[in-house]
Amino acid sequence: MLSPKRMKYRKRQRGSFWKSKQATRGNTVSFGDYGLIAMEPKWITNRQIEAARIAMTRHIKRGGKVWIRIFPDVPYTKKPAETRMGKGKGNPEYWVAAVKPGTVMFEMAGVSAELANEAMQLASSKLPIKTKFVSRRGVE
Amino acid sequence: MDKKTLTGFTREKFNKHVAGRLRREGKIPAVMYGSKGGRTLSVDSHEFHKKFHTVSENTIIQLQMEGETFDVLVKDYQEDIMTGSILHIDFFEIEKGKLLKTHVPIHLIGTAIGAREGGVQEQLMHEIEVECLPKNIPASIEVDITKLEEGASIHVAGLPAIEGVKFLAAEDSVVVTITHVRGVEELEAEAAGEAEEGMEEEAPKESEGEEQAE
Repeated sequence: MLSPKRMKYRKRQRGSFWKSKQATRGNTVSFGDYGLIAMEPKWITNRQIEAARIAMTRHIKRGGKVWIRIFPDVPYTKKPAETRMGKGKGNPEYWVAAVKPGTVMFEMAGVSAELANEAMQLASSKLPIKTKFVSRRGVE
Repeated sequence: MDKKTLTGFTREKFNKHVAGRLRREGKIPAVMYGSKGGRTLSVDSHEFHKKFHTVSENTIIQLQMEGETFDVLVKDYQEDIMTGSILHIDFFEIEKGKLLKTHVPIHLIGTAIGAREGGVQEQLMHEIEVECLPKNIPASIEVDITKLEEGASIHVAGLPAIEGVKFLAAEDSVVVTITHVRGVEELEAEAAGEAEEGMEEEAPKESEGEEQAE
């Protein structure tokens, strides 16, 4: 599962990444021919990314290549159940990737548009956001 | 090289409110520049989409505006990533008989032997920068890959030569390659291995001096 190898600080403030409306970086299909873009802002966990990747690679079987364009580098902390407030910040539980609308999350090449669309729809069902299947500029 | 025609309308106000109003009226704000200076204009969105299914940088467009005709190329365009609608277009006015630089798409023809035997065809370069006269701009560069075996590549130096067209990319840049693909079983075994590692690393260990929650 995707996670950073090393972190300077174990815990991070939540921030407000959704304030800027759309993704201004990572918003074009750069490596493959087809992509899956996010239509909503959300934190995507490493488990969700892994589930989406497995769904795609199993559907395309042999042939085709998949790129994961997002990386979960934000630690998500949680306080244990039945714990009173205070006594410091909770423990890191998992990792998330902050995704803005327009971010190309996955890319695919080496397969037909139809197969790529089917695989991306399966991947989309593993994610907590609305998504859209797109093609690279110049690919119909 | 085929030519397409488009009608342009001169635009006098340039702020974002005016541009927004134009878009709501079904027009696309645009600029045209070249050796004779710049102009601001707008084109009809419906007409543009009807004539250009995909926007390409190598199609010469005859832009008719105020009784004049300009030969232009689409140099750049901005699109709304959410809706896919075109927000703005940059037209580049070309001069006859003068060399210009533009990007031309690379189209692969056929299925490679390596891809049929189980490899994955990976196109690393989808378009290439070329220098040529406007009359010589190719619609696309077609590359026959039927004899390409697994592990083999085609470089810029191996592209078919076109008279009057100079490729500006480095000669050793890879255009297309056939790579070995791992089977589903291999991928799953690898994913399982990563998952085990991930479980160990997933939650960073607590430091010794940290207070225990109540």
